[in-house]
Amino acid sequence: MKDPHAFDHRPDPVLGEALRSALAPTRDGAAFVARVVAASQRPPIAMVDVLARWSRLGIAAALLAALAAGYAVGLHAPADALSADSDASAMMATPQSPDASLLLASYSER
Amino acid sequence: MIVLTRTGDGVDEAQLAARARAGDRSAFGALVERYADQARRVARAVLSNEEDADDAAQDAFLTALVKLDKFDPSRPFGPWLMRVVANAATDRRRRRKVRQVEELDPGLVAGGPRPDTVTEQEMLGERLRAALAELPDRRRMAVVLFDVEGYSHAEIAEILSIPEGTARSEVFHARRRLRVLLADWRATP
Repeated sequence: MKDPHAFDHRPDPVLGEALRSALAPTRDGAAFVARVVAASQRPPIAMVDVLARWSRLGIAAALLAALAAGYAVGLHAPADALSADSDASAMMATPQSPDASLLLASYSER
Repeated sequence: MIVLTRTGDGVDEAQLAARARAGDRSAFGALVERYADQARRVARAVLSNEEDADDAAQDAFLTALVKLDKFDPSRPFGPWLMRVVANAATDRRRRRKVRQVEELDPGLVAGGPRPDTVTEQEMLGERLRAALAELPDRRRMAVVLFDVEGYSHAEIAEILSIPEGTARSEVFHARRRLRVLLADWRATP
């Protein structure tokens, strides 16, 4: 259907009124204005506060990671130290002199 | 075209905007009061749900307050604000944070029976909202901005960031659809 008025450069009062009525807010206009003005008066969240919140989280996460890493290292470190001690005491206990190749093994590995 | 540059008490909108920018909340309140209905209607054209539309309109006013330094006081305030409203409503719709819109009877869009018991105006409103919901966002906003709010094609082009010819075309297509609906409504005995 061709509509001869579709390209009118003027608003259509009939359609406009029908749409205006269809889209009219049913809620109180004054309450809306008060709500917006009240929201505008709330202090905005400063970027510094946001960063501070994030930094607190970051520090906590870093502490947790450090603790976890320390715990993981601690699980292995005593075992190595124990075996090194026992090797040394075993060598001291025997009257024979230790094999030079054993003593120099660490140097040769490097 | 409605010229919205002066308030009833003669205070220029550019002055109000400047005062609002300087922290005068009463000036901001005056601007909100002046444009509240318009912003809510435009947002509702996009979002259908009234609560979402009000939330979007509020977001738009608060965004506008923050961005007032970008408003050119030599130009009318309305199109600038409506651009912020259109963006806020479109963003909200895109983010899909809209509340569930009540299902509309498909028969309401066109060709449905015309119950005598229901208020005619309410039924027509429902049909128009349903018909608007079928249109693309840009088209809905274009026809509402043109036929309801009285903005020119050039202003609509600026608000929607589209060429003027496209704005004209959007209004044309939306009008064609809505006028058929209105004609059917009036023709139904």
